[in-house]
Amino acid sequence: MSYQTVTDESEQIAASGLTPEQLLQALRQMHLIRAFEEKAEALYALGKIHGTMHLSIGQEASAVGACLALRPDDTILSTHRGHGHCIAKGAEPPLMMAEFFGKEVGYCRGRGGSMHIADVAGGNLGANGIVAGGLPISTGVGLSLQMQRTDRVCLTFFGDGAANEGAFHESLNLAAIWRLPVVYVCENNQYAMSMPVTAAFPIRQISERAAAYGIPGVTVDGNDLLAVYGAVETAVSRARAGEGPSLIEAVTYRWRGHSKSDRQRYRTRDEVKEWQARDPITRLENLLVAADLFTAEKLADLGAAARQTIEDSVAFAEAQADPDPATILEGVYA
Amino acid sequence: MPVPVIMPKFSMTQEEGRVMAWLVAEGDIVEKGDPLLEVETDKVTMEVEAPESGVLRGVAVKEGDVAPVTAVIAHIVLPGEVWRAEPVKATPVAQRVAAAAGVNVGDVPAAGKVRRQDVEAYLGKVRATPAARRLARAQGVDLTAVNGSGPHGRVQAKDVIGPVVEEKAVQPVSAMRRTIAERLTRSYQTIPHITFTVAADMTAVTDLRRRLNERGDGATVSVTAVLVKVCAWALGRQPLVNASWREDGIQLHEQAHIGVAVALDDGLIVPVVQNAAHLGLAAIAEQVQDLTARARNGRLQPADVQGGTFTISNLGMWGVEQFTAVINPPQSAILAVGRTVKQPVVVETAVGDELVIRPMMKMTLSVDHRIIDGAVAARFLQDVVAALEQPDRLLW
Amino acid sequence: MPDLMQAELKTQTHAAEAVREMTYAHAIREALQLAMRRDERVFMLGEDIGVYGGAFGVTDGLIEEFGAERVRDTPISEAVIAGAAIGAAVTGMRPVAEIQFMDFITLSMEQLVLQGAKMRFMFGGKASVPLVLRTPAGSGTGAAAQHSESLEAWFVHVPGLKVVMPATPYDAKGLLLAAIEDDNPVIFVEHKLLYRTKGHVPEGYYIVPLSQSEVKREGRDVTVVATSIMVPRALEAADLLAQEGIELEVVDPRTLKPYDAATVTRSVCKTGRALVVHEAPKTGGFGAEVVAEIVAGEAFDYLDAPVRRLAGLDVPIPYNRELERTAVPQVADIVREARALARGEY
Repeated sequence: MSYQTVTDESEQIAASGLTPEQLLQALRQMHLIRAFEEKAEALYALGKIHGTMHLSIGQEASAVGACLALRPDDTILSTHRGHGHCIAKGAEPPLMMAEFFGKEVGYCRGRGGSMHIADVAGGNLGANGIVAGGLPISTGVGLSLQMQRTDRVCLTFFGDGAANEGAFHESLNLAAIWRLPVVYVCENNQYAMSMPVTAAFPIRQISERAAAYGIPGVTVDGNDLLAVYGAVETAVSRARAGEGPSLIEAVTYRWRGHSKSDRQRYRTRDEVKEWQARDPITRLENLLVAADLFTAEKLADLGAAARQTIEDSVAFAEAQADPDPATILEGVYA
Repeated sequence: MPVPVIMPKFSMTQEEGRVMAWLVAEGDIVEKGDPLLEVETDKVTMEVEAPESGVLRGVAVKEGDVAPVTAVIAHIVLPGEVWRAEPVKATPVAQRVAAAAGVNVGDVPAAGKVRRQDVEAYLGKVRATPAARRLARAQGVDLTAVNGSGPHGRVQAKDVIGPVVEEKAVQPVSAMRRTIAERLTRSYQTIPHITFTVAADMTAVTDLRRRLNERGDGATVSVTAVLVKVCAWALGRQPLVNASWREDGIQLHEQAHIGVAVALDDGLIVPVVQNAAHLGLAAIAEQVQDLTARARNGRLQPADVQGGTFTISNLGMWGVEQFTAVINPPQSAILAVGRTVKQPVVVETAVGDELVIRPMMKMTLSVDHRIIDGAVAARFLQDVVAALEQPDRLLW
Repeated sequence: MPDLMQAELKTQTHAAEAVREMTYAHAIREALQLAMRRDERVFMLGEDIGVYGGAFGVTDGLIEEFGAERVRDTPISEAVIAGAAIGAAVTGMRPVAEIQFMDFITLSMEQLVLQGAKMRFMFGGKASVPLVLRTPAGSGTGAAAQHSESLEAWFVHVPGLKVVMPATPYDAKGLLLAAIEDDNPVIFVEHKLLYRTKGHVPEGYYIVPLSQSEVKREGRDVTVVATSIMVPRALEAADLLAQEGIELEVVDPRTLKPYDAATVTRSVCKTGRALVVHEAPKTGGFGAEVVAEIVAGEAFDYLDAPVRRLAGLDVPIPYNRELERTAVPQVADIVREARALARGEY
């Protein structure tokens, strides 16, 4: 695969149109996602939280870069690997952590957990336990926004696995013929559980499928925040202008297994190490330092600050009450 | 093959024999020719010998029971043979149900093949619908005693209660209804009622009422008003009828206070004409009319319904010819009055019996037998009838 | 007795107007029309619902009044029809989607069952999904196994969904308006053979509340609980049996989920006998739920006969006309079963 090559960092940042403060905030969010997931993993190992979880460590740039192009009143739909999307869309880590602990004050009142975490008020219509499950819904959200004559857009994340579901085809086709304001962001993290994209697709880039729907399709380096942002920003502008949907493929890599029970027999340790060398957080830090926007010393504190935020979130969550079993039927029907 | 032991025929006319005693127990070894059992016919008692050597099996007739001649009553199993009891005829379901209940299907009485319902009947199980069970519970009916008309003998609701009736909701009762219920139940359960019926010729009363009412200067004189006057007078002559039973004896009442039963929409009330013996007919008629009207309007005062010593219940205006009333305690008697009906009556004249048409009214007196014996009641009724037939005897 | 009051109100409404007859299909169309005129958020999407007028003509003429934006023809994409309705509903619209044949709803199952039905609950009650999915079910058209399904029981089994099955034009209109007003996903199951049946339908906007079973005919001998096309068949059976002196009480649940069992319980307490009739195959059908509610509650002690079910055979709907009729209950079947029950033959 070929990516746009960058030689001059300052030029690159200037071209993105992002301010230093926006970039610093993006970096903070990426740290927050990393710290959140590392902590979640540790809590899981300690038996403090249960169920299952899908970690997106290594994919932070695609979540944050995509959401950086959105307004607060835009809507996203997320995937089973959705903690990053949730934080990137502006969710509060304490309330997220409370949901992980199954607490009443959690985003879903303890009913959803990791795989269904949603922040409806914040414009996140939820992680999704079904591969491609969010795609048709996002098409409907786009329809709704269009019919309400807003300039809001809907961005939906999905993985490379989802691109082989029938719902992918139906959704992109419908959005295309109705020119709906939807941005389809495919996070290609190389594996659909154990199925490698090289085996699951007869094409080099998933974005090539956009041609089938007559919409723009682009593949970007998903570990490059600026690249993700740039592509999504273009697609969002297009959607806001009523020109219809776009398909963006963000090529990235999940450092952890598919879920907690993955023995990872389908890939080598070397391959993982190779991708870890392309850590999106380090890349953004290096870029910001190289462009002389921030000193390495200033950035050095961000990781620790994020970890502290997450520790505080855990303390908050642990102190909250469980849902009252008497309320179990609440929310089944409106 | 096991050799059958049959009930032998000892005489030409013999049709059956009674097993008096088995001389060999089931499962014991016998030699051919050994005495096996004693049989009694209508004439003699005989010993029956074993027809073969072997083991006695399958004894089918108990001691004291009768079997027809030539019926197989047991078998002798020969050496080397295996005894397999004659299979009892039963449906597979019956066998399964019997086995599940630990019952030998052969013990189940049945007409012919044993069926499931035979086994269930034997087990005391009853097939009944939930509705039938509910009704049986409510009515204290033993379902095992009910013949079910449904499939497989299932008892249905109609078998418990006859044709299905629609049950209506329970109506709450008024305080008056409850009082009536309590008083009458107590009366009927504690007072030994006896009743006496007489008929009075009402020609004279009819004539009297017509004359008085034609004057039109007072309240209408009703039959009830006349009866109040007549009874008050008769009670004076038979004080035991104007009395109350008490634990310590019989309370005789000085005055006759006559209650008049008045039917209301939701019950019944008995206002009282006080001291009726001392009132003229016109005054009584006025009081009866006033009390009846106020009873129907719900305007009676407590004093109006207290102190009665005798009650008259007149259903003549409703077309009732004759009925029996329940005594209104603590009184000792009540007079149930029917309607006046024109009837053929045989009267004695100087020239002999003559058939005439007369307005006749039947009255039934219920009395408390603890106080009043038949003769007393009869004398009271004689007085009442006499007064009605010759009202001029009374001072109106 | 809210049901009696309801019936009385309805009767009064009827009396107040000239009797206005229309078909079941027309009644549905009128409900859609009224809902879309009343609420800008209401719109329709589905296959061939625009100029074609719907596969059964139900939406005929609506595109002329409301335009292609609110009467949206979709590609043949049942998953995204359902999903688009869910997405639109959760963000402020009130979509009415149509799945052309209930058979095709199999292609929408993931979105309906795993997404739309659960979204509100999964999100802690912080979202609502006010959508209606209309779909024609049932056999009798000779369309054979893949165009004749009656799949309502599947949806009854999904918490979060409501399931409505109108049997008369009056109910079709009132229930559809109620479904559109409801803030939950409602599966609205129409019947192809009912589309052309006629009945009284008042003018104007009215609601038949969801979750209220209705006694369609009173009788003392046997309670017949029937859904959809089986309601008119049960009523016809009742007419026939009335000549024999057998009085059927016909109860139509109308809403299968959440189901008003109390009306059926009251009826069975009165009659002591119950026959449950539906077109869908018997095994695992909605009738089992109806029977369970009868025997599990107050009505148990009033039962004077086994509760009987009359339902479709456990067979795909065959093509041959006679086989097709044999596969699902007909009037004569209801007459036979109800008569046997009334006579105490079971």
